Amino acid sequence: MEVGKGKRAGFLRQVFYIVAKDFRAELRTKELFNSMFLFAMLALVIFNFSFAGKMPVRVLSGAMWVSFLFASVLGLNRSFVKEHEKGCIEGLLIAPCERSVIYFGKFLGNLLFIFLVELIALPLISIFFSRSEIFSKPFELAGILVLGSFAISAIGTILSAITVNTRTRELLLPILLFPLILPVLIASVEVTAYIFQPKGSIIQWLRLIGIYDIIFIIVPYLLFDYVVEE
Amino acid sequence: MNKKALDIILYGLLLIGMFVSLYLIFQYAPPAINPTNNQTWYEQKIFYVHVSSAWTGFLAFFVVAVASIIFLRNESRIADLVAQTSAEIGIVFTTLTLISGPLWAKSFWGRYWDWSEPRLVTALILWFLYIGYLILRSSVGEDFRRARFAAVFGIIAFLDVPIVFLSVRWYRASHPPLLVFEPGGLDPSMKVAFFFTLFIFTVFYVVLLRNALRIKLLQDELNRLKEVI
Repeated sequence: MEVGKGKRAGFLRQVFYIVAKDFRAELRTKELFNSMFLFAMLALVIFNFSFAGKMPVRVLSGAMWVSFLFASVLGLNRSFVKEHEKGCIEGLLIAPCERSVIYFGKFLGNLLFIFLVELIALPLISIFFSRSEIFSKPFELAGILVLGSFAISAIGTILSAITVNTRTRELLLPILLFPLILPVLIASVEVTAYIFQPKGSIIQWLRLIGIYDIIFIIVPYLLFDYVVEE
Repeated sequence: MNKKALDIILYGLLLIGMFVSLYLIFQYAPPAINPTNNQTWYEQKIFYVHVSSAWTGFLAFFVVAVASIIFLRNESRIADLVAQTSAEIGIVFTTLTLISGPLWAKSFWGRYWDWSEPRLVTALILWFLYIGYLILRSSVGEDFRRARFAAVFGIIAFLDVPIVFLSVRWYRASHPPLLVFEPGGLDPSMKVAFFFTLFIFTVFYVVLLRNALRIKLLQDELNRLKEVI
């Protein structure tokens, strides 16, 4: 009703609209989710045979995170490419909202896709690699998956917005993303291994991911305007 | 002080300083004793060059971040050129670090590389980050956008560095390496040689930056003149 009076929707609601738009587009095409999920599973199959047989927890956690990271790159790459292909980016840019709304919307959308892929992959991982711990500690695992994917999506979204404007596009994103994401990858793998098999302390790793998540959601938010300005 | 006088001072300092630094490293500073086998340890001399180039590389990337912030604030062409040039020079010095580090390590740890040595791994990640930075620059056609994207990435990359360092240090705590020694303190004459070399490397960086910047400004001028004609 207030919208009719020319008043704009609130910040969170605007972000929600962007997420909903991406989600709806994805529901209709299903191109992204299917590829991401299949890619993650295929990577795990390949890891299994590369490491021949039952992987120790540290290796399995590593293999999981590497597969998730690679699958995320597929999704992140498409995130802005599809806007550019259909000329939709202009629409987004002239929408009556702050640019940071686009960043947060895209960030949440990407996080959602990545997290969904991980959630569906987990039970399969548990079956394929005989890890019943996955079912006994679902909340701990979901927690670390969100924390780790948060960082991948936060930093990946702004990098994706940058690389979509380059000549090399898809090639460039992993090259820029992997060195940046390394600390989170180390920390997430350590924490995941700890959940499978508690040993030592993980509080510093959680702190590291926490700090990383905070820094790399604020900094891209501050810098995003410069990336999308035409 | 005019440009020419500054040039003469910098070049003179660099020319003489490099020889002095070589003298300090190879003559003045005593050869170290390798604590692992108690023999004279000539390879320790690499340390002076290694740490100095690591420092210079890091300084160069710090300059990239500062210049990037300045660029985003006032969109000055100079700031963008400084960022680009400094990244290029930083890559050279980091490459030197990555070559000299393993050579030193082989003589001390008995192997070229150790994944739990935070400084070495951070140098490698820095190298990847700024190679990425230069590839990003080279793959955006338009000048203004290139400068913006590069500035944004330059800031993000620099913020990431301390976290990389921390993570590798903690990684080391939870996966202790088989055998990593920390060299003991430096004796006073070694310190003199070290700090002087560090200083000369920094001067070297400034000279390289100034020269490369000048070339790029001349290129700009040339392009402008071409367009006029």
